[in-house]
Amino acid sequence: MSLMRWFARKAGLDIRSSKYSYSEDPVLGFTSSRKQADRWVNSTCGYCSVGCGMQLGVKDGHVVSVRGNRAHPVNAGKLCPKGLAEHYTIEAEGRARFPLLRKNGQLERVNWDDAIGTMVEQFRAVQCKYGPESLGIISTGQLVTEEFYALGKLVQLGFGTRNYDGNTTLCMSTAVAGYKRSFGSDGPPGAYEDLEHADVILLIGANVAENHPILCTRLEANQSKTLIVVDPRVTKTAMMADIYLPVKPRSDLALINGLLRIVIDEDLYDKSFVASHTSGLEDLRESLTPYTLDYAAQITGLEPELIRKTALLYANAKAAFIGWTMGVNHSTKGTETVNAINNLALITGNIGRKGASPFSITGQCNAMGTRETGFTSGIPGYRKFESEMDRREIARLWNISAERIPTQRGLAYPDIIEGAVAGKIRALWILGTNPLVSFPNIDVLKHALGNLDFLVVQDGFHPTPTTELADLVLPAAIWGEKEGTYTNSERRVSKVNAAVAPPAEARSDFDIFLAVAEHLGCREELFPDWREPRDAFDEWRRVSAGRLCDYSGMTYELLDQSCGVQWPYPIGEKSRATASRRLYSNGQFETDDGRARLLSTRWEPFPEQPNSEFPLILNTGRTVEHWHTRTKTGAISILQRMSPRAWLEMNPKDAQQLNLQAHDRVEVISARGRVSKIELRITEIVAPGQVFLPFHFAETNANQITQSAFDPISREPNYKQCAVRVERSSGNPA
Amino acid sequence: MELPLLTQIYEDGNFLRLTNASSLVPTDQAEISAPSSCGVGAENRMPRTPGHGEQYRFHFDMTKCIGCKCCVVACNEQNGNPADILWRRVGEIEGGVYPQTRRHYLSMGCNHCLEPTCMTGCPVEAYTKDGLTGIVRHSADACIGCQYCTWNCSYGVPQYNAERGVVGKCDMCYGRLTRGQEPACAAACPEDAIRIEIVKVAEWREHYRGPANSPGMPSADDSISTTRITLPAKLPADVSKVDLNQLHPEHAHWPLIVMTVLTQLSVGAFTAICCLQVFAAQSHRTAALVALLMAMLALTASTLHLGRPIHAMRALKMWRRSWLSREVLLFTLFALAATAYSATLWFGVRGTSWLGALTAVLGMCGVAVSARLYLVPGRPAWKSPLTVAEFGSTTVLLGACGADILTRGAEDARYAVFWGFILALMTIGLKLARLGRSKVHELHGSWQLLTGVFSNHLLIRIALACTGTALLPLAATTWIRITIALLMVSSEFIGRYLFFVTVVPTNMASEYLAQEAA
Repeated sequence: MSLMRWFARKAGLDIRSSKYSYSEDPVLGFTSSRKQADRWVNSTCGYCSVGCGMQLGVKDGHVVSVRGNRAHPVNAGKLCPKGLAEHYTIEAEGRARFPLLRKNGQLERVNWDDAIGTMVEQFRAVQCKYGPESLGIISTGQLVTEEFYALGKLVQLGFGTRNYDGNTTLCMSTAVAGYKRSFGSDGPPGAYEDLEHADVILLIGANVAENHPILCTRLEANQSKTLIVVDPRVTKTAMMADIYLPVKPRSDLALINGLLRIVIDEDLYDKSFVASHTSGLEDLRESLTPYTLDYAAQITGLEPELIRKTALLYANAKAAFIGWTMGVNHSTKGTETVNAINNLALITGNIGRKGASPFSITGQCNAMGTRETGFTSGIPGYRKFESEMDRREIARLWNISAERIPTQRGLAYPDIIEGAVAGKIRALWILGTNPLVSFPNIDVLKHALGNLDFLVVQDGFHPTPTTELADLVLPAAIWGEKEGTYTNSERRVSKVNAAVAPPAEARSDFDIFLAVAEHLGCREELFPDWREPRDAFDEWRRVSAGRLCDYSGMTYELLDQSCGVQWPYPIGEKSRATASRRLYSNGQFETDDGRARLLSTRWEPFPEQPNSEFPLILNTGRTVEHWHTRTKTGAISILQRMSPRAWLEMNPKDAQQLNLQAHDRVEVISARGRVSKIELRITEIVAPGQVFLPFHFAETNANQITQSAFDPISREPNYKQCAVRVERSSGNPA
Repeated sequence: MELPLLTQIYEDGNFLRLTNASSLVPTDQAEISAPSSCGVGAENRMPRTPGHGEQYRFHFDMTKCIGCKCCVVACNEQNGNPADILWRRVGEIEGGVYPQTRRHYLSMGCNHCLEPTCMTGCPVEAYTKDGLTGIVRHSADACIGCQYCTWNCSYGVPQYNAERGVVGKCDMCYGRLTRGQEPACAAACPEDAIRIEIVKVAEWREHYRGPANSPGMPSADDSISTTRITLPAKLPADVSKVDLNQLHPEHAHWPLIVMTVLTQLSVGAFTAICCLQVFAAQSHRTAALVALLMAMLALTASTLHLGRPIHAMRALKMWRRSWLSREVLLFTLFALAATAYSATLWFGVRGTSWLGALTAVLGMCGVAVSARLYLVPGRPAWKSPLTVAEFGSTTVLLGACGADILTRGAEDARYAVFWGFILALMTIGLKLARLGRSKVHELHGSWQLLTGVFSNHLLIRIALACTGTALLPLAATTWIRITIALLMVSSEFIGRYLFFVTVVPTNMASEYLAQEAA
């Protein structure tokens, strides 16, 4: 800055008027001149799977602003605070810009050809030495569907390993497993519109006001609903409830079984629906014998009348909706709990109708895309590894021998990590996820990664705690820099478009996959004539045709025009593209006999009960300003300003007993580790005996204390409950 | 104010009409409840142009707000503000016992008050209350960055932008309103918790106390906020701000510390010089020059407080309304009189003691007005006669120290120092008693800061003054007398530092982990 300008600023002659000027913009209206764009690019938000439509404003090659897309059926122009500041992710500090290879302990810049050549060479060497399945791949829920589809083929057919899973196993695999067991297939049956039409809405372990705020718009729009919220913590969502059920931690399964027993005992179930479309009622009835009202009340800590009232409200509703998220999924009993939820919906006939659905509210923007196309826990198109017919069909579609399709899935995410600890997984490719913050009981993970011969991390950001450990870092394009599709919680497929080019040498994951295939020598076989994501999408449309998740009627043009289309959308679909669609409306399920299964479930106490050494129960969760491990939102100043650091919530009774004051710095200690110097919030939001810690913050990482306990069916971690004690940090003012 | 584009806002049945000041009736349900597929409002939900005796206001519906803070981000994007300046903020209040816990959120921009204290305090007419819309607007071009409005507003609405050297604030997106567009916060709210309404000013003046007040908000009495807040039907009795345990020291404002202490020293010194001339027929021309130098130093220092020092003289403009303007005016006159008086002393012009008396009177008026300007609604610890006593005792004590030196320790001068010391000590004691006994958060908070984080400062201040006083009987040499004066000046500087840093402003409830604004 010249001396003159410095003087002008200091003296007050220059008040940066042009920087702070306003003008009229045809799209944004009258607004800060700096936010006005030359062109607007339609896209879909890259954070959560509500799937809000948005437009990115581009000026001089920079994304300068975003706005909600008013024409989009999901959000009609609204965005959450993360979405409203999403343009800052693109030029955030800490973007990965160049391929980096570890040489003599240091990550050094290499060119792409060397990077991918080294990767393929190292992976092949490990596979030669230890067998093809010694290579593991952990991907994400945040690539575009076209990339997931390509990656699945590349991993299973190109590298020839089944040990491939996504971080979606930390998140939604429980819902997937529950749907498969109950309905014969994955796929959330309802639509967001149901939130506006249900007369009873039961939210279990779902803090939508914090985590999916744009869905609250639908709740707000439904003035005639009764909202019942089940959560041990008085969340923002609990405070919106007409009836709040403050259950003891992880007693949800006992509650639902209690509700089921009342509905059956009092003959409130839909006999004709149960008779025509389900099987297993007698076994279910039998399994519910222990769940008397008193027993349910005792386990959940709820008043018996409140449980009965809930059962009657739900059973007598014209259309009842059950939404759930991580309170249910993050549990060793998660899959069974999902099945119990499905049982409740099925016996009351609350599925496949307007307003009536059991509905998992998904986490990541495209977790659904990887579930449909990913080739991890199933073959693309919700096909089953175990089904010979499915294997033959996919082999025919891909023009390969059916023998090349595995007959069962490989290791799930936690088992890949266990495999690395045991020395069976020797090389790992991690894409778009940051396990050093997000995986439970982090010391086990560190041990696993330390055992590897070669670790490749492909990410939009570097350094992250995970890329710092990599042998090879591949810089990837992120949201706003690439094309494809996302599928949201309600199975709505929306288009994602590139507004700007990736920084420096970063490339889209799609391009990276094609380049890897090229080096592997399988590009033409797996990806014949593929140049761009559209080629993958077109193949996927053919592969999905006739399946539950039928994309065959969709084209990029239709998606761009309509903003978002729910599957199934077969060729020749007559209804309006944006119309709400529901699964199982005809009562036909994806099981062999077309009947949904009523499954017996059994409540058990959570695995690590509090004891004299660790007397408190730790609960973990989120805050609206941040996304997952904060690689993106931690670099955005407005979000950091609003939520600068983690905190620990504790009930005043416990604080008094521990002689702790508000804002004290405390240690949270479990049998596995500790979180240090975290700021204490004393609040009646949490019950006595429980504490709550947000998990976003690497500096005070909740996963230093969480446990290695996983759902036996879905393999999802039990993040939500573990035993801890809290102490004042040393050096704290007394 | 002209609103040329307001005529573009067509006045058909789609707009909100008011039946009275506190209820809002949508005239077209379909427009308000929006298409079922999207569940959010349609594009144009603006009320009509306010008529005679009406103005725009915000309506905030606490029952709808989920604390998502979309409004905060949207506001910063709309105005291109950096993250440390939030023209719209969201705070939390909480109460009840688990599981009947209630946590609610407050979202607040500017309240576009009927009696805006930011505006009445402003020395340069940077603020105007728009005649047609009632919006309290701020002109960055007119602003000199004195930040007096940031003290005057009990809601902490105006915020200083150091990058620009001026203050800025929410103008209800005036530019958008005049184009028929909703303000950014209201348009962004997913819960429809923020709306623009029309209020009948006379009715509001009668009835604002209920709907304008809320737990977690400063009293609407200070300035008659126009924001209507819809509270939940039931709030726990113990609902309160969540940030009550967070006490942050305020900005020290060093130029103001220097300015206030040195003007008071100078006024005290000129008063002493004048008294000595009148009653003891002594002429202290060197002392007058030193005192004048102090006054000049003080006035120069005060301009460094400004974001735009080059426009310091504009501060004289609003002397009819602003105490700050009056302070600047009186101290300017004082400086002019002091210059003339010093010149007469220097050149030995006789019969000019009236000029000395004028200097002293102007100076004392200046000190009084200087103290008066700190009696603002947004700073309860300052809003007390004790502030006048504090500034007065500094003047007396430092003036007496000057007299002590000039008279080479005359008995009367030593008594004056002693009584000045007693006055200062009493002021400190009364202030501590007032703050410590108060149940008001801001007052008690000041006491906590004074006796907690800043207790050492306070003890040193008192110890310095006591030491100076203890030396009085020994004041046999000029050096000791100068030492006493320096001890007293140091004590006063620390006192003034404490005055600024330990004040706890009134404000809306903040978030639990609120960071201090830069």
